[in-house]
Amino acid sequence: MNFWSITLDLLVGFGETLKIFGVTLALALPLGLIIAFGSMAKFKPLSALTRGIVWVVRGTPLMLQLIVVYYGPGIVFGTPIFSAYSATYITFTVNYACYFSEIYRGGIQSITKGQYEAGQVLGMTKSETFFKVILLQVVKRIIPPMSNEIITLVKDTSLARIITYYELIYFAQRYIKNGGILWPLFYTAVYYLVFTALLTVFFRWLEKKLDYFKA
Amino acid sequence: MKMLEVKNLCKRFGSNEVLKGVDLALNKGEVLSIIGSSGGGKTTLLRCLNFLEKADSGEILVGGKSVYHAVDGQKPVVSAEAQLSFGLVFQQFNLFPQYSVLGNLMLAPKLRAKRKSTEGPRETAEQIAARAQKLLETVGLTDKANAYPCELSGGQQQRVAIARALMLEPDILCFDEPTSALDPELTGEVLKVIRSLKDSERTMIIVTHEMEFARHVSDCVIFMADGVIEEEGTPEEVFDRPKSEKTRAFLSKTC
Ligand SMILES: Nc1ncnc2c1ncn2[C@@H]1O[C@H](COP(=O)(O)OP(=O)(O)O)[C@@H](O)[C@H]1O
Ligand SMILES: [Mg+2]
Repeated sequence: MNFWSITLDLLVGFGETLKIFGVTLALALPLGLIIAFGSMAKFKPLSALTRGIVWVVRGTPLMLQLIVVYYGPGIVFGTPIFSAYSATYITFTVNYACYFSEIYRGGIQSITKGQYEAGQVLGMTKSETFFKVILLQVVKRIIPPMSNEIITLVKDTSLARIITYYELIYFAQRYIKNGGILWPLFYTAVYYLVFTALLTVFFRWLEKKLDYFKA
Repeated sequence: MKMLEVKNLCKRFGSNEVLKGVDLALNKGEVLSIIGSSGGGKTTLLRCLNFLEKADSGEILVGGKSVYHAVDGQKPVVSAEAQLSFGLVFQQFNLFPQYSVLGNLMLAPKLRAKRKSTEGPRETAEQIAARAQKLLETVGLTDKANAYPCELSGGQQQRVAIARALMLEPDILCFDEPTSALDPELTGEVLKVIRSLKDSERTMIIVTHEMEFARHVSDCVIFMADGVIEEEGTPEEVFDRPKSEKTRAFLSKTC
């Protein structure tokens, strides 16, 4: 077992970690927007229900949610419904969508009424005003909290380990079980650090890109 | 035929009656100034004309055609052209910060061209850009076409907002205290632009505290107090020979 073969092996494990990261982002970013609209709905039962769900999801540990989604159906129906893969993707997506939705909601509500009114008096429809005027201003405002949340997601992926999703930490732990080699586990930190560094650079760049206007 | 007729417009916020039956009539090309102390309902009137508030009752006619008709307690009838019959310049400009000056002018017309299905050919992007350039000349900002709102002074921003409103060619253009958010030394350039817009085609309603400006630009002046039109007439009539006691009190305070 030399350093490079372990590095490569862990890279495969990190690929599994990235899968959780990628799938969660791809699904939770749009789902969060839908949830944000739900929680701002004028129809009271809908906004109450949405806020209730957000409260439960944000108010309980992600680890507990993973366990409930993965093992829960088996206990209730006698047979499991979700594989470790789907249980992980579903739980992470819903969990992160709820966090994103609150960030979106804050961002959307921070835009002044005047922007919507200007759109209306210029004859733009509500959706034109939202997508052409409001959205980019919201994006600019929510980049800092979103980048925080997304960097947290990188590290949260390791929780999937407990429902037997074979990601980076699992790959490293195998070396302890199979040969008493401890250092690969510590070595995983480098993967997380490099990746979060890349994300940090990306968000800096994005912030710079939107520096040309004040909102 | 009148360009604009407003009949018995009423608006309440809760139990607060803000407009208590406002009647107006304007010919094409006329400029109407509305003066009055704060809280009198001037902004609410303009907002009702631009459908940012829904009047509880009353009717609005443009060019003889009813565009808005409300009966107390019933859903108002609003025609499809209603919104684009009116334009509004806000006290706070409300420019779109992420668009350049030219972008601010062109956004809504471009979207309208994309949407448009009826009557006549669609306006092309080039035609829209050409109109935008021309209006920038009108407001004296040709050299700022590619600047962003945050790079402009308040007076420049308000001139952009005026050009942006004109891009939609509204039948009636409304201004809600267009210079109130500006430093005193910047009001002149905005008032000058508004004055230059006056011609036989443009019908305008201007809420303002600039009495000298109102006197010189207006064909008629309205003094509004407590949700009613207290006095109405030519600038000479209202400013020099006010009939109402309230008007006299207001004018002696401001002039
Ligand atoms: N959205 C609103 N909700 C409740 N009251 C309002 C609202 N807008 C205006 N008002 C009230 O209507 C009255 C007239 O206000 P406004 O039209 O702004 O007067 P003006 O522009 O002449 O100063 C004020 O008493 C104000 O408090
Ligand atoms: Mg006002």
